[in-house]
Order: sequence, then C-alpha cells, then structure tokens
Amino acid sequence: MKQCFFSQNNIKYVDYKDVELLKKFLNPHARMQGKKKTYVKARSQRQLSEAIKRARFMALLPFVAR
Amino acid sequence: MSKKEKVAKNSEEKIYEVGYHIISSVAEENIPAEVEKIKAYLAKEKAIIISEEAPKLRPLAYSIKKGFGGIYKTYDKAYFGFIKFELTEEGDVRNIDLAMKNNDSILRYIVIKTVRENTMYSPKITVFSDKDAKIKTNLKEDKVVKAEKTATIEEIDKSIDALVSEEI
Repeated sequence: MKQCFFSQNNIKYVDYKDVELLKKFLNPHARMQGKKKTYVKARSQRQLSEAIKRARFMALLPFVAR
Repeated sequence: MSKKEKVAKNSEEKIYEVGYHIISSVAEENIPAEVEKIKAYLAKEKAIIISEEAPKLRPLAYSIKKGFGGIYKTYDKAYFGFIKFELTEEGDVRNIDLAMKNNDSILRYIVIKTVRENTMYSPKITVFSDKDAKIKTNLKEDKVVKAEKTATIEEIDKSIDALVSEEI
C-alpha cells in the first residue's frame, strides 16, 4: 500500500517554486496526475494542483509539452 | 490557548510572498536596483521582509509577450526572484500588487498568501546523500577487492616458490 508523499516527508505547504517536486506529479505531456495515480491525500492534492497552476502561470512549468 | 483563539491568531497573520520575473533585457549589474525598487513598494506598506532570493536568469517554460506602448516583445529568459514578507495591519497588499503591475521591467509577477516556515522541500539534498552513499559503498567494495588481490598475489608467489623448489 503506497502512502501519501507529502505526509511521509512532513510537507505541510506545497510551494509553487519547488519545480523538481512538482514535476514528479506530471505526466510526459505536463498534465497533472489524478489522485488515484499520485496516492496523495485529498488536502495535499488540492495544494498540489494550486501549486502546479501557479508554477504554470509563472512559466516555471509548461502548460503543454510535446 | 483555545482552538478558536489559535485559528484567529493564524488568520490575523498576514504573510505574503511576491514572485517576479525581471525582463532579460535588463543588464545583470542593474538587477539589484530593480530589486530595491520592489523593496521600496514593500517598505511603503511597512512590510517586514522574512526571506528573499536574488533574481537569477533562467529559461522560461514558454515564451511570454510583453507590450511596450503598442510594440510587443517576446521573452524566452527572465530573472526569477522572490521576497517573502509580513504585513502589519496598516499595510494593504493591493497597493503592492498595483505597483508591481505598473513596473515596466517586470515581465510577470504573482502575489500569494503563504506560511512563515520555509516551504521549499529540497530533494536535491537527498539525491546528493544517495550519491555519497553509493560512492562510499563503492569505496568499500574497492578496498575489499584490493585486499583480496594482495592476498592472492602473495599466495601466487608462495605457490610459484613451492613449484620452483619442487622442480629443483
């Protein structure tokens, strides 16, 4: 049984600047993975999606790739 | 402290972070001056700076257009930096937002509400430690191999000597 990445690493706030971390939760087309794939708890998944959208707006992450 | 009071205290704390891209046409020597400009906006609202990172030139994930009086320019690179700050009750974050908007040398910016603690999780450190661990294990293996080799050489020498003595 896989556990929530953010709970395991004691991350309480997902930062949009942490691009390397956010990239783990994107597929090769730079789309967000769903909660069934990420195994992240609901609260962190909401924070994660917000962070990815902020990173996209700031051009730290692409909207689309390939 | 009761739970309600705790919640009220947290909601009162006004901690924000402003992330910005400074256009790449600004020379690297003039970047500190641009940062000072942004800090002046914060100082106007009596903000207390918690942490900051100096702008660094980095490629953008996609090109961004910016208009200068009808002429558009596209940028593929920009200096990205951020400042985390706390506002007192007198300060208004909307004024900072407006000031950033009117600054021509800022390509794009974002003002977000955040927490006081360091929010960056650095997987790089763990990666390095993994590498170090690998190197260490490799070294250990090497030592073991060397030790074995030296032992074998001696053994070979002895066996050769024995063989030579037998032949004689």
